[in-house]
Amino acid sequence: MDKDFTARRRRDLIIAALLALIAALTPLFVKDVVVQNILILTLMYAGLSQSWNILSGYCGQISLGHALYFGLGAYTTELLFTKFGVLPWFGMLAGGVVSALIAMGLGYPFFRLRGHYFVIATIVIAEIGLLLFHNWEWAGAAMGITIPIRGDSWLKFQFLRTKLPYFYFALALCCLAWFVTWWLENSKWGFWWRAVKDNPEAAESLGVDVFNSKMGAAAVSAFLVAVGGSFYAQFVSYIDPESVMGFQFSLLMALPAVLGGIGTLWGPVLGAAILIPLTELTRFKFGGSGRGIDLIVYGTLIVLISLALPRGLLSLFSRPKRTGAVR
Amino acid sequence: MSALLETRGVWQRFGGLVANSDVSISVGRGEIVGLIGPNGAGKSTLFNLIAGVLPPTQGSIWFDGEDVTNLPAAQRCQRGIGRTFQVVKSFETMTVIDNVIVGALVRNTVMKEARRKAREVLEFTGLAARADVLASDLVPAEKRRLEVARALATGPKLLLLDEVLTGLTPTEAQTGVALVRKVRDAGITVLMVEHVMEIVMPLVDRAIVLDLGKVLVEGKPADVVRDPKVIKAYLGDRHAVGA
Amino acid sequence: MGLLYGLIAVGLALIFGLMDVTNFAHGEFLMIAMYRSFFLFAFFAIDPLLSAPLVAAALFIFGAVVYLLLVRFAMRAKANAGMVQIFTTFGLAIVMRGLAQYFFTPDYRSIPQSWLGGKTISIAGIFLPEPQLVGALVSIAAFAGLYIFIHRTDFGRAIEATREDPGAVALVGIDKNRVFAFGWGLGAALVGLAGAIMAVFFYIYPDVGASFALIAYVTVALGGFGSVFGAFAGGIIVGLVEAVTALVLPPSLKSVGIYSVYLLVVFIRPRGLFGSI
Repeated sequence: MDKDFTARRRRDLIIAALLALIAALTPLFVKDVVVQNILILTLMYAGLSQSWNILSGYCGQISLGHALYFGLGAYTTELLFTKFGVLPWFGMLAGGVVSALIAMGLGYPFFRLRGHYFVIATIVIAEIGLLLFHNWEWAGAAMGITIPIRGDSWLKFQFLRTKLPYFYFALALCCLAWFVTWWLENSKWGFWWRAVKDNPEAAESLGVDVFNSKMGAAAVSAFLVAVGGSFYAQFVSYIDPESVMGFQFSLLMALPAVLGGIGTLWGPVLGAAILIPLTELTRFKFGGSGRGIDLIVYGTLIVLISLALPRGLLSLFSRPKRTGAVR
Repeated sequence: MSALLETRGVWQRFGGLVANSDVSISVGRGEIVGLIGPNGAGKSTLFNLIAGVLPPTQGSIWFDGEDVTNLPAAQRCQRGIGRTFQVVKSFETMTVIDNVIVGALVRNTVMKEARRKAREVLEFTGLAARADVLASDLVPAEKRRLEVARALATGPKLLLLDEVLTGLTPTEAQTGVALVRKVRDAGITVLMVEHVMEIVMPLVDRAIVLDLGKVLVEGKPADVVRDPKVIKAYLGDRHAVGA
Repeated sequence: MGLLYGLIAVGLALIFGLMDVTNFAHGEFLMIAMYRSFFLFAFFAIDPLLSAPLVAAALFIFGAVVYLLLVRFAMRAKANAGMVQIFTTFGLAIVMRGLAQYFFTPDYRSIPQSWLGGKTISIAGIFLPEPQLVGALVSIAAFAGLYIFIHRTDFGRAIEATREDPGAVALVGIDKNRVFAFGWGLGAALVGLAGAIMAVFFYIYPDVGASFALIAYVTVALGGFGSVFGAFAGGIIVGLVEAVTALVLPPSLKSVGIYSVYLLVVFIRPRGLFGSI
């Protein structure tokens, strides 16, 4: 029986490797810049959503404030780069560490809150971060930071003539987030998180350190999201508070996981693969009109999917073995 | 022989309400002890104090020669106290074996070993066939057994059972009783809270009767059921008639 | 201003308290109300103050319909019930914003002249803008009305009872869906009232709801979810905090004060000021 389990995990790993390989080859066939852009964003959001899923899906602490970590990653990287000349690669790491530390600092008071109080607190804290950056002169306030671009450079991770490096970085990020999830899923942490989500009191009685479980999930989740934020800043080469810390990012991290299947290994990837191209396409097709058709399509989709498939799209594929046979 | 568990002069007040007053009990190694008493006698409170859900207002709790009064539940579990809940608290979105693995991780940090331990416990408790079923799909009696399995997986020296036999059909209860005996034979001390006397009395080595937050009587089950104080405390309760 | 926040929030509190559902489209309800008020003024020259009851009535129907068409089904979800509710109402919010952009264009609109607009009134030497004053009075009246309604009428009691035990209520022969639909209608109507008044002194645009929605959630949580009195008190606190921070901090930071107070309150009292278990 346990062989089944090992086999399933190995199968997941092989599928992921194959998907990554296919994804890695797409730029050979897709030369269109618009489509490449969409692919990059899809991979990025898949990675972000996967990271969000660690705290909110596995550990059950629904955060709608992850834009804070996204923005912190972006700002840390770019402030270090423009003010001190620190290369973005180090900035990325620094951003991740800063976010993870802040996530844990916030965890002290936050993880005492339950349900809606917690969710609202996460929205509120991200909003406070946004407002503070809006008023922080040194960090460019509302004007933001424009990243000086002087030609293609791997060292500075900036490219004018090609999007391919961004594509591969986004792919790597997505793979990393997936792999971290895959690995943690079958670890003490993974089990602790799910136990904490389902029933904190019972978890406690079984020796689970509930508080530190949440802290661990928050730190890993914030770190990965911040790396995504750093990447995004390099990718768009201009940041201001709204464009990296706005509420829409919190939402766009949560939605793919919710649509695909929250708290599952494949949910975020599946959700992002459907949702992000759709978002970008509707925006591309109708968005320019400024008449909100993209919003209507998008919103309707969210309503329909959450009503029709509460467990996410992934539940369509799971076989009815869940009910199990009595022997 | 030093007792495995001892409560020394434990008090618990909730506002003006006194749930436990000056409770001193002890449980010896290898015993099955029944904690009984009418509704509202303070059994559940005492139980939660021992499990570490909340600290007592006054008094101390000793386990295995160590003062554990101020340790939180998770650490008491690491010291060797396992428990079940009166209202079952399974991890509903996890499979049966995953539920048990959570418990097994206390003493097995390597996943493979935890999984093997969990498998072992499932065999022991007769849940092996249901290993890959979601906990939410179990029938109530199975959920009770899962609670026991989870607690056993933590490798306890003392197992606290909170009304695991209540509300089961007679057949299910018989299986439950057999399981408790099996647990004791495996060298684990058992303290069980039970409301229904006739189920527990044949099972336990010693019974402690609580009433109005105090220890009323303790002793051999046969003596306890005949004690006039116990009969009086249970008077009007139909189970007293049966006993 | 605080009283208006309270009025917006109480609708949310009512819905939440009644059935444990957070309406994330609450800000959009407000937006719709403001537009309705605007169009009644623009086409029929009905002053917002007069049209307020009309707007409230329209929103009542709207709220009830939203419940019957969407929320009723969201509440039936077997898995992830919390998530389904959050994202259903969230999706609704996005659709409503999109529709508003489509039909009303993203332009900012305002009601140029009304009976109240721009006038101030002087009480004991303090100048108060008239619309806000009327807003405050209407809010107080609405609160009083709601209080009486919930505690003194049969239907109000039915709502209270349903909230406590939907199962038992069904046995007595009260249709849960009717009560819930009514609750949603009432919650929406209250927001409609607030919207009608606010249309007088705020710009109206499709995203206007978003800026008030978060404040409404904060207000509700501050008071404790589901508590009508809490929402009222929360509204006043939020209004005061806003006024105080406006004195100390630059205007763009005024919401920070409100948010900080929220965080402080829930850290000390994780269930809000007046929340019960």
